[in-house]
Amino acid sequence: MFDYDLIVNLLVAMIRNATPIALAAVGAVICERSGIVNIAMEGIMIVGAFVAAIVAGATGNPWIGLLAAIFFGGFFSLLHAFATVSLHLDHVVSGAVINVLAMGITAYLMILIVGHPGTTESVPVSLGAYRWAIPGLSRIPILGRMFFDQTPIVYFSFILVAFFTWFLNRTKLGLHVRAAGEHPLALETIGVSVYKMRYFGVFVSGLVGGMAGAYLSIEGNVSFTEGMTGGRGFIAMAAMISGGWHPVGAFLAALFFGFADALQVRLQVFDTTNIPEELFIVLPYVLTVVAVAGLVRRSRPPKAVGTDFMIERTDD
Amino acid sequence: MAQTVLETRHIVKQFPKVLANDDINITLQEGEILCLLGENGAGKSTLMNVLYGLYQPTAGEILLDGKSVAFSSPRDAIDKGLGMVHQHFMLVETLTVTENIILGAEPGKGPQIDYKTARRQVQELSDRHGLRIDPDEKIMNLSVGLQQRVEILKALYRHAKILILDEPTAVLTPQEVEELFTVIRGLRDKGVSIIIITHKLDEVKAISDRVYILRRGRVEGEQRTADVTKEELASIMVGRDVVLTVERTSRKVSGEPVFSIEDLVVRDDRGVPSVNGLSLEVRPGEVVGIAGVDGNGQSELAEAIMGLRPVESGSMRHLGEDISHLSTRERIHRNISYVPADRHRFGLVLPFTVAENIAIGYHDRAPNSKFRGWSLDYAGMTKHAEALIGDFDIRTSGPSATAGNLSGGNQQKVILAREFTRDPSFLLVSQPTRGLDVGAIEYIHSQILAMRDKEVAVLMISLELEEIFSLADRILVLFEGKVVKEVRPEATDEREIGFYMTGGKERTA
Amino acid sequence: MKNVPRLLTILGVLLSVIGLVLWLGAAVDKGQPAYFWGLWLLVAAVGVHMVRVYLVSGRRELVDLIRRSARKMMVPLLGVGAAIVIGGILMLVTGYDPVRAYGALIYGGLVRNWHISVLNAAPLIFTALSVAFAFKAGLFNIGAEGQYYMGAMAATWLSLRLTLPGVVSIPLIFVFAGLFGVLWNIVPAYLKVRTGAHEVITTMMLAHTARYLSPIFIRANGGDPAFSTHPYVTDTIPETVWLPMFKDFLPRANYRVHTGILLAVVVALVIYYILYHTTIGFEIRAVGENKDAARAQGISVGKNIFRALLIAGFLAALAGFNQVNGLDHRLFENLQAGYGWNGISVALLAGGHPIGVVFTGLLWGTLDAGGQYMSRTTQTPSAIVEIVKGTILFLVVARYIYTAIGNWYRRRKQKKMIDSSIAAAEQVGA
Repeated sequence: MFDYDLIVNLLVAMIRNATPIALAAVGAVICERSGIVNIAMEGIMIVGAFVAAIVAGATGNPWIGLLAAIFFGGFFSLLHAFATVSLHLDHVVSGAVINVLAMGITAYLMILIVGHPGTTESVPVSLGAYRWAIPGLSRIPILGRMFFDQTPIVYFSFILVAFFTWFLNRTKLGLHVRAAGEHPLALETIGVSVYKMRYFGVFVSGLVGGMAGAYLSIEGNVSFTEGMTGGRGFIAMAAMISGGWHPVGAFLAALFFGFADALQVRLQVFDTTNIPEELFIVLPYVLTVVAVAGLVRRSRPPKAVGTDFMIERTDD
Repeated sequence: MAQTVLETRHIVKQFPKVLANDDINITLQEGEILCLLGENGAGKSTLMNVLYGLYQPTAGEILLDGKSVAFSSPRDAIDKGLGMVHQHFMLVETLTVTENIILGAEPGKGPQIDYKTARRQVQELSDRHGLRIDPDEKIMNLSVGLQQRVEILKALYRHAKILILDEPTAVLTPQEVEELFTVIRGLRDKGVSIIIITHKLDEVKAISDRVYILRRGRVEGEQRTADVTKEELASIMVGRDVVLTVERTSRKVSGEPVFSIEDLVVRDDRGVPSVNGLSLEVRPGEVVGIAGVDGNGQSELAEAIMGLRPVESGSMRHLGEDISHLSTRERIHRNISYVPADRHRFGLVLPFTVAENIAIGYHDRAPNSKFRGWSLDYAGMTKHAEALIGDFDIRTSGPSATAGNLSGGNQQKVILAREFTRDPSFLLVSQPTRGLDVGAIEYIHSQILAMRDKEVAVLMISLELEEIFSLADRILVLFEGKVVKEVRPEATDEREIGFYMTGGKERTA
Repeated sequence: MKNVPRLLTILGVLLSVIGLVLWLGAAVDKGQPAYFWGLWLLVAAVGVHMVRVYLVSGRRELVDLIRRSARKMMVPLLGVGAAIVIGGILMLVTGYDPVRAYGALIYGGLVRNWHISVLNAAPLIFTALSVAFAFKAGLFNIGAEGQYYMGAMAATWLSLRLTLPGVVSIPLIFVFAGLFGVLWNIVPAYLKVRTGAHEVITTMMLAHTARYLSPIFIRANGGDPAFSTHPYVTDTIPETVWLPMFKDFLPRANYRVHTGILLAVVVALVIYYILYHTTIGFEIRAVGENKDAARAQGISVGKNIFRALLIAGFLAALAGFNQVNGLDHRLFENLQAGYGWNGISVALLAGGHPIGVVFTGLLWGTLDAGGQYMSRTTQTPSAIVEIVKGTILFLVVARYIYTAIGNWYRRRKQKKMIDSSIAAAEQVGA
């Protein structure tokens, strides 16, 4: 049972399963730090997955697919930004609507482009084929295979976690974003546009969410299935909350869920009793509830998250 | 020769329902301290927000140093040398002093912030103007007076030549007010021109060179401060001779206290004991006024009395019984009534109708409900509300009007109608006239006195000393969570109360 | 004279009930008039109500009522209209004929396959009531889908085992199914009250969990592929516990339409009553609008949040009961049921109003049925309906867009007015 190889495999799988969640979670962190609740990550991810699969399949180049996914993810997220920032719509309601729209649009376009619903034909040009083992570092036992012998998007996720941490804490724009989520009026009165900051936050989460979705559809063979996000967008939200709205925390929380996911698959194989396989599938979901329950008290969300910001109020 | 640094010509600001500024023409001379005086709703803050670029004027123009300018956002105003210290601080609590000061003007090449330079600059600025502050402290750990310093430093960091302060003394102790005035004079000596918005006559006299009086969006008068008395200012401000106190006949109060507190300790949201060993008692037919600077435990006290905040230790008795473990609902059913300070947040459900707001709290008993409190009786609710609308002269289209559409004064009347007609034995009112015009204030004061005359025990928390002096039979001064002085209004004056409010201690003979 | 209003009320109720039954249960494919009779009776009922208002409260109140109702319906109608136009443009651009497509949609949904629209609407109304009810308390019961599955499983389980006569067992199964929905929301409700855990995440996670529990249940109840002649679906429940069909009393009704829709309407009315005519509903609404003020008046925020989520769970589970005992008479393995998500849309579209939900549910059901007919007969992909739905939702929900346009327009008018009056004043030399 405690075979060395098995454990390393498990850990590597943890990283790989966690990647889409980590990406979506980190994107959501930036979005929520600017003050916008974003439950539409699921919808953005499915859009990213769809675009990546179609474009990569059509061009035969997964990199172009990835780029397209990022672009369209960002573009799609602007709808949420527009609804919440400019139209002052309730954030959760807008997020729910965006999710519905995303499912509908991808289904429709799928029929238009591919001709049938369900799953697209698998195209054997995967991004995973561009796996790159960092010379030297990848030889480190266990950690080497986990962190330094991975595929492009996984590396991007590491880089982005570090980048966003630096961004929030050390850059001017990052400071503005943080202020927009804590005390938007203070920011506005000092001459920085809160609207712009919030659009930015949502847009970033869209870009990153698109990448997260792309990972799902073009990492292995290129293929898109309706609903392939499987609730990961919401698990990413839970990771964001458990991670205390910090990029690093969100990443660690995502690792936790990735671990549960990886474990679940392996338990199915090793299951000698008659435990139904679905119980293992369900494990990450249940753990999310536990995580949100246990940890939500410890961390505090950005003070003004979810609250609308409107200039020119009349209460004088 | 002093020149005009700032001038507004025919400024008009129209909101959908309200004409907030109606043809305003003011000037500001270089190096002078100008006051804008007016009551709540007079349009002072709106005018300042227009000057600062937060609002766009509907009409009119602004001139700086004789040249016409247009500000599309605060950034433009800041670039032209305007700085504003708002009444409600614009500080991000989780960030440090330095981060707040540099926000929007951060030093550093490219996207990265140069924190070392920032800290140094903040330190220099603080030393230069004598505004001591710790650059690395988080705002949430600072006192209100210190937070205001940060706000002033923010404006100075951006090289403000014209500084606008909106009700700067609202949350300060008298001593902090003196310190602030010293700072302001210091700034004036360094060439900064200053506009102070206030509704406090004392301050106008104490600090300003000139004063404009605003009423209902228009400039009603302009005076050199030295040439005018407070009474004259007050009457221009209000438009008629102000009666500064309501008729209160003194009465003899006797009997067992209806409500008493002993050694009460209540912690605030940060875990600090903001009520720290407080004792008081209120007898039937008297108004006990609690005076104090905001932030000395008033809101925690009110919440604890109503069961909205847990009591750490000490006892609270109503009609002899300990009520500290009772729920809010049980206290309300014991005929304890409460008029909260924040009427929009705790007093009314704004999207509900007037009738529903009158019924809430007693919604499970007649006349608001039938069938043993299960179903609502709209006919009963409406009739009850109609009667109260008449009794309290609430200006509204009817019981089904949405509470959010009423004016502030009428909203408060709805709350009074609800709370005062529950036949309370004990009444807690907190800042009952905050944000209301003089007419509403008079009405509410007379209603409170009417309750007192009906032998109700009234405990009133207020930040306005005038109100306390008008209504209270006994004044308790609250400082750092304790009652530090009890005195009758006839035997004292505002200066003495102010002394105790700021922690002054009695000199032992 | 005093009795006339009362008579009118009774008349109105009678007309509504009969009209509703006729309209919902009728099938038009055989060209029978019951459908239209039903509609006319409903219109008459509305007319009776208006007469009653006029008699009791006067002409002013009636005009006011009409104006208010029109204003409330304007936004959804405008939203639907605009979405249809946008959908039409999309179809044109991608090479389909919108006129043919919409024609087929309307004919299929409203006339030819009206019974399918009604069948589609019933579960949606239940889940939408669930979401709307929670929304009134300020909560988002996004996981209604999970409660649906729990209700469906519970209903199937009990239906397969109960041997009492239908009159007794159907209500029992109704309650039993609802209770399982309640059960499924206890943890999210408790966590929300105790730790503030956002119910969007907790209910969503439990929804995914319930989804994956259903195959286990199905295998244990007759659908195990290893043993069963009908894999991936449970055994069929006995006829005694089937919901009555319309054809039992409307002879020419479609053979599949069951009375679940009537049940949905009744439940909607009950929920409306609870929300607006009981003290519990009052408290829940107060908590939803302003929990600080509610607390200050002694209303327990935690208790009411808990109540609201549990009731919402009950309602969504009823959708499962409706599908199992009314339509399928067994539980199919269907991981993509979508009643939860669509229920959210239906609730949002109705502005969270329980009665409105009935209408928007029927709208959604019609769009689905019409969409299928449209794709069969005109080869336009039915996914266009999904886009139209999403667009309707977006436009209706973003009502601010209308007020924003209104404000902008008003501001421009005002500015013109002020500018002209200042100019006039300057001319006079003020």
